[in-house]
Amino acid sequence: MSKVIVVTSGKGGVGKTTTSAAFAAGLASKGHRTAVIDFDVGLRNLDLIMGVERRVVYDFVNVINGEATLRQALIKDKRVDNLFILPASQTRDKDALTKEGVESVINELKTDGFEYIVCDSPAGIEKGAFMALYFADEAIIVTNPEVSSVRDSDRILGILQSKSRAAEDGNVVKEHLVITRYSPERVDLGDMISLEDIVDILSVPLLAVIPESDSVLQASNNGVPVIMNLESQAGQAYMDMTSRFLGEDVPHRFLDIEKKGFFKKLFG
Amino acid sequence: MIATQSALELKGEMLMLNVLRLQDVDIELIETTLQQKRAEAPLFFVQSPVVVDCSSLTEEQGSQLDLRALRRLLVKMDFVPVGLRNVSNAMLAASITAGWNVLRASAKQSPKQEVTIELSEDTFVYDEMAEEKKKKEANMAEFANEDQSPQKQGLTIERPIRSGQQIYAKNGDLIILSQTSAGSEVMADGSIHVYGPLRGRVLAGVKGDKKARIFCRSLEAELIVIAGCYQLLDESDTELKGKPAMIYLEDEKLIIKSIK
Repeated sequence: MSKVIVVTSGKGGVGKTTTSAAFAAGLASKGHRTAVIDFDVGLRNLDLIMGVERRVVYDFVNVINGEATLRQALIKDKRVDNLFILPASQTRDKDALTKEGVESVINELKTDGFEYIVCDSPAGIEKGAFMALYFADEAIIVTNPEVSSVRDSDRILGILQSKSRAAEDGNVVKEHLVITRYSPERVDLGDMISLEDIVDILSVPLLAVIPESDSVLQASNNGVPVIMNLESQAGQAYMDMTSRFLGEDVPHRFLDIEKKGFFKKLFG
Repeated sequence: MIATQSALELKGEMLMLNVLRLQDVDIELIETTLQQKRAEAPLFFVQSPVVVDCSSLTEEQGSQLDLRALRRLLVKMDFVPVGLRNVSNAMLAASITAGWNVLRASAKQSPKQEVTIELSEDTFVYDEMAEEKKKKEANMAEFANEDQSPQKQGLTIERPIRSGQQIYAKNGDLIILSQTSAGSEVMADGSIHVYGPLRGRVLAGVKGDKKARIFCRSLEAELIVIAGCYQLLDESDTELKGKPAMIYLEDEKLIIKSIK
């Protein structure tokens, strides 16, 4: 059985695409055939973060319009087996996405034997975001420890549970919360909302907390999903997230302020 | 010092309007019918504002209606065309290009209250009576042996009400087993019970039932309304913020009481 998972947030710039890339790469590295689709038509980013932007020939909209086959448009990742990327079109806008078109692409991926179909949603609550979540079985809600981000996540959760196909059929989309850019130091200082408060406001089960880390920015700029850098805390946290999603019991890490050792204290 | 005079005064006022409910789209036929009506009371219609209601038209009729000609006709006959009402989505663009104002659809029952409610298209409205009636019509035999008095059972919702969502329990109570988020709106003609934190706007007794009450496990609402009387929680000096509370109306005042 294949599963369609939407990565969404409402607000922009919180780490949806980073999370989609890392999570899809994580699933694939654990042996699951995974496709990740960029729904951000007109502002495509996923291919950049995955480091495949120079390999894009056909895109999602071409497939929807019947100008290319899905096989032609899917880009196979060279680093991880089982990982395929379906890039967005940069020259179109979100109106190019139709319900029927998206459905046929997702169905074709399913019959093609993909176990996980990760839909990287654009920001906002307009058509692109709606299309990305409409066919979802499960949803990963990406939130930053910040008031407006949490509020927007709440809004998108409402849309998810009222406008998705699952909701129309009287079912519930399974929700997972991922808090990104988390900095225990700043929570301690009162600059950021604590994860306990975020979970309390959203009342969604916590899947992972990704610590604020320079390695995320480096990874994006280098076109390598951060999960492939297992030396970085963010990479490890994304790997934990993937394991937890697949049902493993992994404790949460990087939630407390790092205790500096004697030498670190001396030399800062 | 003389107070500066304000440029205008904005008031809501009731105004007599004639509503012209179209049942046909043939302009000539409309004209002859209108002339007959006018002949009955010639002065009554002079410079009389008129709203054209399209609710009786089918979508096909709507597309055939010549909106420009209709407007010309009304002006020619000394009416003041105010706007169109109940136009289908398909007619909307044509109405605007033909120079018509499009009015909001009329509410079936307009509740008397200070806080007006605007239901968005997405509002989840549950009409207890209508559901009951449907059930009865569908299954008369089953109901034959049961008590015929309409039992108000209310609407029960298990999932959180999120920011931007509206829930309205028509003709009954609303029971929410989870939380309501900041930026959400929950409404009921009867009372409202929230068994999680109540964080959004909450409106009980929206049709004017002053006996309606609000109950919650943790009072964190933005706005509380019962039968049109409202209060911002931030402006209230209650000590029950974040605590279990019951809210009811006494002499037009909202009373917040502990229910520990």
